[in-house]
Amino acid sequence: MNRHAVFLLFFSLALLSITMPTAGDAAQQARPPVRHELSLFFANDVRGETEPCG
Amino acid sequence: MGGLPKKAHQLESLRGKKSAVLALDSGALLFKNEKLPPDQREQLAVTAQGIIAAYSTMSFGAVGVAREDLAAGLPFLLTVQKKSSFPWLSANLLSRSERKPWFKPHTLITAGGLRIAVIGLTAQGADSLFTEKDNAVIAPWEEVLPKEIAMLRDRADMTILLSSFPAPVNRKIAEAHPEIHLILQAGNTQGNIAPERINNTLITQVESQGKSVGILEVLWNKQSKRWEESGAENLLTDKKNELDRLGWQINRYRKQGEPAQAFKNQPQMLAVYNDLLAKRRLLEEEILRLTAQQKARETNRQRFSSYSPHFETMRKDLPDNPAVRAIVDATTSEVNRIGKAAVKARISDKTGQPQGGLPENYAGSTACTSCHVPQFAKWRATQHATAYDTLEAKGQQFNVQCLPCHITGPAAQTGQEMLALAHDLRQVGCESCHGPARAHTLQPAAAKAGQPTMDTCLRCHSGEHDDRFNFSEALSRLRCGGD
Repeated sequence: MNRHAVFLLFFSLALLSITMPTAGDAAQQARPPVRHELSLFFANDVRGETEPCG
Repeated sequence: MGGLPKKAHQLESLRGKKSAVLALDSGALLFKNEKLPPDQREQLAVTAQGIIAAYSTMSFGAVGVAREDLAAGLPFLLTVQKKSSFPWLSANLLSRSERKPWFKPHTLITAGGLRIAVIGLTAQGADSLFTEKDNAVIAPWEEVLPKEIAMLRDRADMTILLSSFPAPVNRKIAEAHPEIHLILQAGNTQGNIAPERINNTLITQVESQGKSVGILEVLWNKQSKRWEESGAENLLTDKKNELDRLGWQINRYRKQGEPAQAFKNQPQMLAVYNDLLAKRRLLEEEILRLTAQQKARETNRQRFSSYSPHFETMRKDLPDNPAVRAIVDATTSEVNRIGKAAVKARISDKTGQPQGGLPENYAGSTACTSCHVPQFAKWRATQHATAYDTLEAKGQQFNVQCLPCHITGPAAQTGQEMLALAHDLRQVGCESCHGPARAHTLQPAAAKAGQPTMDTCLRCHSGEHDDRFNFSEALSRLRCGGD
């Protein structure tokens, strides 16, 4: 096998290992999208509350 | 501001249960009206600063600037905002000359792994709130909002608008800007407003006067930034309820025996029964189809955002947050001290004697006792007769915000007049219900005292102070039987 053929073989193997999806990638693709939990507390108008005079 | 320690408790309790809580207020926080009576300004300004201190302690994320918040003047709000731990937001309150915002137009808050943009808008009104020197103008939302949204589009996962514009304007904003995910409205409303969805925007509001707080539990997908459609779930529930009703009707027919036999001689009844059976078959097929659709949606659901709203009433039996209670107590005590100092200054200005004045046409409750002994005795047993004492017990008898409903006198009294009122009028006395009675004391037969109407009572027993007030019930309980 000439040196050129050996180089091509190693190059192809290296390229394959970079582009081939890993088990982790597959898991990531299957994972459902993340939803973030948030509680919004909102108020309207402090003035004139039920006990306005303390 | 008496409800603030309870509001702080509600917020603290939510923070104890949830990992990411963001507290927001759309404005109208500091003052009740857009203009302040000049002789109440000092007391109201102290109250406003107490509210800001309480909100800072409660770690609010942002507050919108509403028109009422500008009642003490633009310079006042610009000064006190420096003492706020939260930003005051208004994208459209601009300097008239340079069209630059006087307040922060928006803020970016990180909570629950989300970058949340909060924008503020101040409602435009018929009257200008500003003096020439203020160099301020409230611009239309169309002038400022597109720029704000364009600037925030790639910087935020979620966009919230704090708006004191009325509901119809907010609906227009939602139609024009689906990039706003939530509009929290400020302003007067009789009840809580559940989220209304317009395109991809929810609009909601808590009832005014701080009687409730709103909590919106959100599960947010920051990739899609879209609320899920909720109509299909309701349709399935409706169809299931309809099936229950049909089943109940069919069973009523069956109770009379096997229908083919029972209605052998009543072909119309049999036809109705068969029609019900056919309807049920169609409905069952439709429910199967809708259920299959819902299952498919459940799988897809994670791609969208969901929300669950609830409103919590500010119940009187809720505990107080001690830190905010201390702020409220210190504030009301300072307000009372200012009123007391005003009374002292008035005494020393004049004769060195307490003023103790009777307003024009008033006689005082004692003048009524000479003729109306049983009526006076009945009044003495009511809470009206100790209305001023309850203020004194709370150290609020010099608070001009409280006094109008704890004394007798014309509705239009100034703060100074209320503070200098005669001792005899320092309760809710006879003339609170029957009107000024000096003429009646001088000529009892010729000048009859008036009778109270519902409007008389609503001056104080309004929804703001007494939302369970019932005029007929109160009248039958308090009627003193006098003529």
